[in-house]
Amino acid sequence: MMGRTIFIDPGRCIGCQACVSACRECDSHRGKSMIHLDYTDEGQSVASLPTVCMHCEDPVAPCAEVCPADAILVTADGVVQQADTTRCIGCANCVNACPFGVPKIDLQAKLQMKCNLCYDRTAYGLAPMCATVCPTGALFYGTAEELQAERPGVQVADSFVFGESEVRTGVAMVVPADRVQWPVPGGLPVVEINGKDVRR
Amino acid sequence: MRAGGLVPRSVTGRATAAGVIVSLLLVVAIVLGSRFLEHFDSALLPYAVATVFLAFGVAYRYTVWVSAPGAKRLFKKGWGSLFSVDNFRRAPTALPKMIATYLGFQKFLGARSHARWAAHQLIFWGCILASLITFPLTWGWFTFTSGTGSGPGYEMRIWGFKIIGFDSLDFLGWLMFHGLDIAAVLVIPGTSYFLWRRMKDRGAVTGQRFGYDLVPLIALIVISVTGLLLTFSSIFLHGGGYEFLAILHMVAVVFTLIYIPFGKFFHIVQRPAAVGMQLFKYTGRQDDEVFSCRRCEEPIDTTPYVDNLRGTMRDLSLGFDEWAEYCPRCKRVLRGSAYLSQVKKGFK
Amino acid sequence: MTADSRTPEPHAVVPIDPSLAPPGTRAFRDAGGIPADRWHADQNGETLVPTHCCFCGVQCGMYLRVDRGGKVFGVEPRNHDINRMRLCPKGINAYQQVNHPDRLTAPLMRRSRDEEFREVSWEEALEFTVAEIKRIQQTYGNDAFGLLGGASLFSEKTYLVGKFARVALKTRHVDYNGRLCMVSAAGANKLAFNIDRAGNPFSDILLTDCLLIAGSNVGECFPVMTQYVWGARDRGASLIVIDPRETAVARTADIHVALKPGTDSAFFNSVLHVIVEEGLTDEAYLAAHATGWEEVKAKVAEYPPSRAAEICGVPAEQIVQVARTFARAPKAMAWHARGIEHHSQGVENCLTVINLCTATGNIGKPGAGYGTLTGQGNGQGGREHGQKSDLLPGGRSINNAEHRRQICEVWGIEEPELPPAGTSMMEMVWQMQRREIRGLIGICNNPFVSLPNLKVVKEGYDATEFHAQFDFFLSETAANAHVVFPVTTWAEDDGVMANAEARVVKHNKAQDPPPGVRTDTWVMCELARRLGAGDKFAFDNSRQVFDELRIASAGTVNDYYGITYERLEETGGISWPCPSTDHPGTPRLFEDGRTYHPDGKIHLQVVEWHPPMDPYDDEHPMTLTTGRTVAHFLSGNQTRRLGALVEQTPRPWAEVHPSHGFRNGEPVRVVTRRGSEVFPALVTEAIRPDTVFIPYHWPVPTAANALTIDALDPRSKIPEYKVCACRIEHAERIDVVPAPPVAPGHVAYPETQVSRTDPLPPTSPQGRGTSERS
Repeated sequence: MMGRTIFIDPGRCIGCQACVSACRECDSHRGKSMIHLDYTDEGQSVASLPTVCMHCEDPVAPCAEVCPADAILVTADGVVQQADTTRCIGCANCVNACPFGVPKIDLQAKLQMKCNLCYDRTAYGLAPMCATVCPTGALFYGTAEELQAERPGVQVADSFVFGESEVRTGVAMVVPADRVQWPVPGGLPVVEINGKDVRR
Repeated sequence: MRAGGLVPRSVTGRATAAGVIVSLLLVVAIVLGSRFLEHFDSALLPYAVATVFLAFGVAYRYTVWVSAPGAKRLFKKGWGSLFSVDNFRRAPTALPKMIATYLGFQKFLGARSHARWAAHQLIFWGCILASLITFPLTWGWFTFTSGTGSGPGYEMRIWGFKIIGFDSLDFLGWLMFHGLDIAAVLVIPGTSYFLWRRMKDRGAVTGQRFGYDLVPLIALIVISVTGLLLTFSSIFLHGGGYEFLAILHMVAVVFTLIYIPFGKFFHIVQRPAAVGMQLFKYTGRQDDEVFSCRRCEEPIDTTPYVDNLRGTMRDLSLGFDEWAEYCPRCKRVLRGSAYLSQVKKGFK
Repeated sequence: MTADSRTPEPHAVVPIDPSLAPPGTRAFRDAGGIPADRWHADQNGETLVPTHCCFCGVQCGMYLRVDRGGKVFGVEPRNHDINRMRLCPKGINAYQQVNHPDRLTAPLMRRSRDEEFREVSWEEALEFTVAEIKRIQQTYGNDAFGLLGGASLFSEKTYLVGKFARVALKTRHVDYNGRLCMVSAAGANKLAFNIDRAGNPFSDILLTDCLLIAGSNVGECFPVMTQYVWGARDRGASLIVIDPRETAVARTADIHVALKPGTDSAFFNSVLHVIVEEGLTDEAYLAAHATGWEEVKAKVAEYPPSRAAEICGVPAEQIVQVARTFARAPKAMAWHARGIEHHSQGVENCLTVINLCTATGNIGKPGAGYGTLTGQGNGQGGREHGQKSDLLPGGRSINNAEHRRQICEVWGIEEPELPPAGTSMMEMVWQMQRREIRGLIGICNNPFVSLPNLKVVKEGYDATEFHAQFDFFLSETAANAHVVFPVTTWAEDDGVMANAEARVVKHNKAQDPPPGVRTDTWVMCELARRLGAGDKFAFDNSRQVFDELRIASAGTVNDYYGITYERLEETGGISWPCPSTDHPGTPRLFEDGRTYHPDGKIHLQVVEWHPPMDPYDDEHPMTLTTGRTVAHFLSGNQTRRLGALVEQTPRPWAEVHPSHGFRNGEPVRVVTRRGSEVFPALVTEAIRPDTVFIPYHWPVPTAANALTIDALDPRSKIPEYKVCACRIEHAERIDVVPAPPVAPGHVAYPETQVSRTDPLPPTSPQGRGTSERS
């Protein structure tokens, strides 16, 4: 199942945005940062969540499936590439279909862009920029065994639940071994919005 | 690499049928346009045959493409917007403007990189020029005849009707006879820039594939260079090496034509879909149908677009189409909150 | 009535191009300093130059990417054992300073502050400067001219600052901006251990069982150090964080003590009280290694948790809990930073932490000890070699006759020529106000943003007859000077720095300075030559200065003699003291149980808590505290010009608790006895209700330091940045952040300044989320 990939642990994240700056230094999309850093607990705490492309395996890349232009390719090693520049028509289907909220779109350039797992680095065995610089290990690149050797007592989870559906991904989350939540909640169904119960 | 899934058999059948019909139509058009082959230049037969294959390939590939759920819905919406009388009445200039900025001047490429825009424009106009000249020629739709047999006075005819008379020695005549050389001169620097970039730019090199990314560029270079050499040979070398060059040129052209539906060049066929998409969204915006995120109330896109996307997701059995009503940021924040509250709050 | 009423209203502007997309997905304006289409990634050969970051005291290793034209164009992570490839956002973007369009490339000069700056030749600027120095010193005496250095300079340059003041200017008035940063810890270390540095290396954190962090927002100010904190926790250590704000490390700490600012010594005395009460002290260790324990014990007896709880505004149980957790841990460790040091009893606060570690026997062992986190890159090295008003190279005292003799010998001057001790940075400003100091050279500092009570600072600087600054970007202070010398960035010269562990690391030159730019070393040597001291300043490069520094420090506590450039390149860093070239350096102090006092003991000091200097009253019932944010560094002269960092955090804010009734983003006026300014409110439950926080990296009218008090610690002379009395009110308009100053005829690099005037507070103290950027 999981080989070398990114493991995300939002609990360790300090929200410093080193990943955001580092992403911009990646040669395959220099000057453009693809990673998302969100402060998920605004007004209550400084908690934060980094989001890289999860490289969905099952279903294979919803973004690629909804693409009307066949612009998103999936490599044999399971990396969902960013849109092919010659094909992408900038319709934003991928942006709004992605269950993790990953792709970005440049409206002027009519082009989708997203994390490609630093393909220029990972294809040669180097860690992606974000996971290389992450000061806290909230983004870790390696195998699950390497992760567990550094952090006793953690487990990894690579499936998420969105309402009735489950999505298995190539990038995984770190979860405490004694409280394995399997699959990891994806946020859907939404229970409340701004304090209001919205279950329907 | 793969994109999408396997093509179902029914689609293959439909696509084959479309291919056969379109290529047959082209054959009929050639026969009629060349006045029952009277104007058909048999030396150009391989080219003509290649265009028939091209027609088949494009129609086949196009049909397969628009049968996939994402493209199918957008295809309908795009053409629907195009043929809407209401749309036309409200904004008669919208479509021509979109076509000019998007398909003609490709303004969006400038936002990606000015150099790439310039190089692409060179290739684009060069190829347009070359196609406008060569396709009708090979189909026998164009003829150039001279009352005196060998000029300098010529007449240009389309489908046998006289369009224009010119003197091969004046400027217009020079342009007419050297149109393809001009096209080659446009294409070569553009293509060279892209080739250089494919060698040097790490962004372009990442994930680059020989067949998909480099072959088309090499093909364009070979066609343009051999084409220019043909002119060079006939003017300066009195035809020296002409035959070999002609064959090389022909092979390159035939290969490129047959390659178009299957490789990178398919974007030429695909691009107009962007205009359809644009028109579809434009209509929605004109009607003020803006869909806002259910959580943060920031606009996501037009309501018809979101409905269309949800339909696509349902077609694909992606069971979380309700999620499309939330903006990407809210999706991430909701997932982060769920992790914090249900998996772990912090370090522990 | 129109014929066709179904015709919709004509839409004025519906752009043809798609213009709708969800927030945060629309554009790539966060592309950083370089406009997106000018970034290049072509594979023309590149060289990786190993060096370290120019910013904080962690001194992360990094490679600078240099293109074939010899220009720095990028950064690559480096597997140096300090940071193990990790970098923070400041470090990643640091390289963008090097070829930044805002760089000064010619000396700026004007004869009076009424004139505009004009670009002049080096000759003219140096000539004018020397003439003014001579005029002022001949008229008012040598001590009427002052020199202020900085702790972001390489150690070689800090050594030269001290030597230049004493030998070339012959003035007693020299000090440096570490006075705003490290001196409280230094004072406490000297009193307790007679050595001024952290006791343990960072790697010891991984071995500890209990980590106490006092007054340090590690996650933002030293992000890369967080890996050691989390590493300790991965191995089961418990984490205690003392901070009025719930910072990123505090958020997940086992115990977060959100005490009232300015009450640290009461808290630590009380913790020690509980430890004594519960018999958790290490009496054997105390008996063998400490003096003054009985007095300390008697004093802490006056601080039962009930009393401290009232002073500190925390539950008494929490104090007991901290005491038990810390004292019961087999190996415990305490690290502190400006949070407890920036106080009118900053030295004493640090001493209470030392008392705590000593009383529990947690000194000088793997995983057990005490350390202080230096804020500036060379915060440690910068205070060691003589740019501090009372110190000579090698940490020698300028008041000690023997030390004076030794240095005079190295410098080749007569002992009477060596001036006596001077005054501290803030005191020098007061002296400028009183016209006791009439001329000033500032090197590598920006007091108009970094010193407290801006009004006083401005008055002081305005009163000087001549003021010159060395800088590579025109700082707010330099913009007020007569002469500005354009000098090199860290990537354009060689040199060493000592990080928070007292590990000396070497920075390597990655590119030649831009035309017109000189090294600080060259400028100081050239000024010295023109002042007639050229023979004492015959240095062509940093290596020659370092060799003299090694000799000047030989035999002292801060012994650099065994450290050479070659050894630094081979080892990746050596901790002083290192007395000989075969000595491995000293990463961990006190392993033999001996301190650097002649008796080898830890001298425990009695500390009595007293309230902060700015009294609370009905008009000013709340506490204003200041600090850093992760995207910016010190006075912001460097980071406020880097696009990515401006995008992350474009402006300062006032962090307030929801109980005051402000909505997020509303204008809030913060009023102290020094003045008032209006910031957007960042409303969060992660701060004490009685406390307001403002980050200090921005200039007036958005300067936290226009509000802070210029009260000093009587021993260390550190200003009390971390606490002053204030109130908050609703206001109409938010004060706008001004553009960073630039040379005449230039505009601040516009691409980097796009979001500077954004009126909203960041999403969280760490900055704006990536989707909150328009």
